[in-house]
Amino acid sequence: MKLLVIIPAYNEQDCIVQTVEELRQTAPQYDYVVINDGSKDATKRLCIEHGFNLIDLPVNIGLTGGFQAGMKYALRNGYDAAVQFDADGQHMPAYIEKLAAEMESTGADIVIGSRFVTEKKSTSMRMIGSRLISAITKLTTGASISDPTSGMRLYNRKMIECFSSKSDFGPEPDSIAYLARKGAVVREVQVSMRERQAGESYLTFTRSIEYMMRTCISILFVQWFRS
Amino acid sequence: MNITLRVFLVVSALAVLYFVVRKIRKSKFEASDSIFWLFFIALLVVLAAFPRISYGLASILGFESPSNFIFLCVIAILMIRIFSLTAKVSLMRTKLDSLVQEVALDRNERARRGQDAID
Repeated sequence: MKLLVIIPAYNEQDCIVQTVEELRQTAPQYDYVVINDGSKDATKRLCIEHGFNLIDLPVNIGLTGGFQAGMKYALRNGYDAAVQFDADGQHMPAYIEKLAAEMESTGADIVIGSRFVTEKKSTSMRMIGSRLISAITKLTTGASISDPTSGMRLYNRKMIECFSSKSDFGPEPDSIAYLARKGAVVREVQVSMRERQAGESYLTFTRSIEYMMRTCISILFVQWFRS
Repeated sequence: MNITLRVFLVVSALAVLYFVVRKIRKSKFEASDSIFWLFFIALLVVLAAFPRISYGLASILGFESPSNFIFLCVIAILMIRIFSLTAKVSLMRTKLDSLVQEVALDRNERARRGQDAID
C-alpha cells in the first residue's frame, strides 16, 4: 500500500523538525508531506533548511483547505491511502503501521487512531465534548466512534477523492459523520498519544465552545443537506 | 407619513447616489453591484415622492403607520442583500482556497523536479 503522511502545520516552528525527523526514523517506509499553511513564524524556513517535502501555501487558508491540498497531492501522485498527522508531536509515527494493517485486513474506508478503544474516557470538559460528538454521530449515522476528535485518521483512495473534490470538507468529526452516513466503513484502533511537545494549543475556551457548536450543528443539520 | 421622513428618504437617496458614483469613478464597484444600489435609490425616491403607495400597502398589510412599512421594506431588502453576500463570500473562499492550493502544489512539484535533476 502506497501511503502518504500529511502533516498540516501552522506556526509550528518549535516542533515541526522533531516531528518530521521522528517520522522519518520510525516509519521510513512512508512518504510524507508537510503543509505549511501560511505560517507567520519560521516553520517554512526550517522545512526548507532540512529539505523536507513541503507544500507551502502562500497565505493562511485554515486546516480544511490546508489538508485538502495534501489530499490533492495524494490523489495526483497515486497514493492508495493518506493519514492526517499532527505537527505538534501528539501523534506517534509507530502507530501508522497499525492503522494501515487494519485498513488492509478489514477493507475499511477510514481508520481512526483512537485513544478509547480499550482505554476509558476521563470526565474532563474536553471528554464531555467528545462524548457529545460520539452520541450525535451515533444518533445520526448509527456508527459508533469512540474518539471522534482524534486527529490521527487514515483514509483510503475513495476518501482521498472525496476530500479532494468537496469544498468546506475538513478533516473533522462532521466530515467523518457525513461519510459514515454515506456508507463509508469507519474502524478504530487503539493508539496512545502524547501531550503536544511545544507551541500553544489552538483550543482556548471560547474556541472550544465555537468548535463544539460548529461541529454539532454541522452533524445535526448541515450534513443532511449537502451533496 | 410626515414631510420630515419624506425629506429624509430623498436626502438618504442622494447620499447613497453620491457614494455609488464615487465608487464607480474609482472602479471599485462592479456593474452588477451598482444595479442593486441604483434600484435601492430609486425605491427610496419613489416612496418619498408618492406617499400614497406606502399608505395603501400599509393598510392592506395591516401596518399601524406607513413609516413602519417603509422600515420593514428597507430591512427586508438589506437582509436579502446580506444573504446573497454571504453566498458570494463563500464562493469566493472556495475559489481562493483552490487557487492557493494550486500555486503551492505547483511549486512543490517544480521543487521536486529540480531535486530529481540534481540527484
